[in-house]
Amino acid sequence: MAILEVKNIKKNFGKTEVLKDVSFKMEKGEVVSIIGSSGSGKTTLLRCINFLEKADKGQIVLNGEVIFDGEEHKKMSNEEIRKKQLNFGFVFQSFNLFPQYSALENVTLAPKLLAKEREDFKQNKAEIYREIEENAKRLLNSAGLGEKYDSYPCQLSGGQQQRVAICRALALNPEIMLFDEPTSALDPEITNEVLKVIKSLADDNMTMIIVTHEMAFARGVSDRVIFMDNGVIAEEGKPEEIFTNPKSKRLQEFLSNVRM
Amino acid sequence: MQLFTKVTMSLLEGLGTTLKIFSLTLIMALPLGLLISLGSMSKFKVIKYPVKTLIWIIRGTPLMLQLIVFGLGPGLLGIRGMNMFVAVIIAFVLNYACYFAEIFRGGIESIPKGQYEAGAVLGLTKTQVFFKVVLLQVIKRIIPPMGNEFLTLVKDTSLANTIMIYEITWNAKRMMNSEHILWPLFYSGVFYLALCGILTLIFNHLEKKLDYYKG
Ligand SMILES: Nc1ncnc2c1ncn2[C@@H]1O[C@H](COP(=O)(O)OP(=O)(O)OP(=O)(O)O)[C@@H](O)[C@H]1O
Ligand SMILES: [Mg+2]
Repeated sequence: MAILEVKNIKKNFGKTEVLKDVSFKMEKGEVVSIIGSSGSGKTTLLRCINFLEKADKGQIVLNGEVIFDGEEHKKMSNEEIRKKQLNFGFVFQSFNLFPQYSALENVTLAPKLLAKEREDFKQNKAEIYREIEENAKRLLNSAGLGEKYDSYPCQLSGGQQQRVAICRALALNPEIMLFDEPTSALDPEITNEVLKVIKSLADDNMTMIIVTHEMAFARGVSDRVIFMDNGVIAEEGKPEEIFTNPKSKRLQEFLSNVRM
Repeated sequence: MQLFTKVTMSLLEGLGTTLKIFSLTLIMALPLGLLISLGSMSKFKVIKYPVKTLIWIIRGTPLMLQLIVFGLGPGLLGIRGMNMFVAVIIAFVLNYACYFAEIFRGGIESIPKGQYEAGAVLGLTKTQVFFKVVLLQVIKRIIPPMGNEFLTLVKDTSLANTIMIYEITWNAKRMMNSEHILWPLFYSGVFYLALCGILTLIFNHLEKKLDYYKG
């Protein structure tokens, strides 16, 4: 069974049709890259999947359960939306770390707040917090940030900040990680340190959707590539097919413009 | 020397009243200001526009005028026994709440949308996002303009003397008239300087405390 099914998603901003009937499926452990020219709707699609944006029509199905339905969305309470967002980890282009918290605190903040909803929180508070902190440290270590627990975002490079942001999302054990151009705000020399972390997640069979302009990376890391053009999926397939044998005219044009 | 002691005692008495106006205004105007700022950012037009109009009127007219309206207005309307001190506090609280409201609004609106979104995708409730993510950042940003307002308030308390509140300036003027001397006026300035000096130190300290991070 597919872990995620996106069905006929439509989204308008005012009169502009940004997504015109987008559908795709993905399996557990699959890595899907989304490429496409600027303004083609990649970010909007990602934001619709985890409710940062409300799609006008269509369905999102997670593990067979309809978690979003354009028709019924109005009835969903903030609380329901919040719970459902937790299925996804989201990494922003601009990191959006919390500046007043250290790297470690950025990673532990949400798990600690969520732990308060657990029934056994009162009795086991110290134990729960210790586990959360250990888990956060483990994540930061594996992202090469073992020395940076106590650094504030303003003391970290862009690449380090983005790695903290990835750890922060992972700390909640999401089913699916969503990345929106995670390296676009970075200098070319440091994109690699972030891409390496994402690659290692792929090797651990994390299910991921990655919007990216890094074609070589998309080709290397993905099981499948989706090419978006003007609000629709114009072509999708295995990376080799997409990059070496593009069928649609638009994809051929797009690739010849970004040729590595 | 006896005269100096006499003037000092009188000004100290005035200082008590000045401090009372100052602290009562802050205690009430800060929360009221937060409420007004939330109102001015409300999605509901029936709340937003009346609140914005109130802010416009209060910030667009002299505090002196407002003091007179609240001090003398009730009497002119035939309402007897209005306590002048209460009138002063109402005028100050309303006036400062509106200034604070604009500072709060500026601070809240200056927080990037990405901070709210990052909180949301991490499963924080709206309340948690406000208190755990946004609030400290807002405080850091509004400390400098708040410092200014606090200093202005110290000096504005002297306006209360125009409707017979016996604060520092009133007492200084009384001494000048009864003793036929000029220097109590300058001496009263020392009291304001001292108060503002202390506030400046406190605000500098707060700014330093939040200097551990940028952004
Ligand atoms: N909040 C919004 N309000 C109005 N229009 C929007 C909004 N967000 C996006 N758009 C419009 O929707 C279209 C698709 O935007 P989107 O950000 O999804 O593109 P993208 O494929 O991610 O582009 P890029 O590669 O530049 O990030 C654009 O034309 C954009 O101007
Ligand atoms: Mg985008």
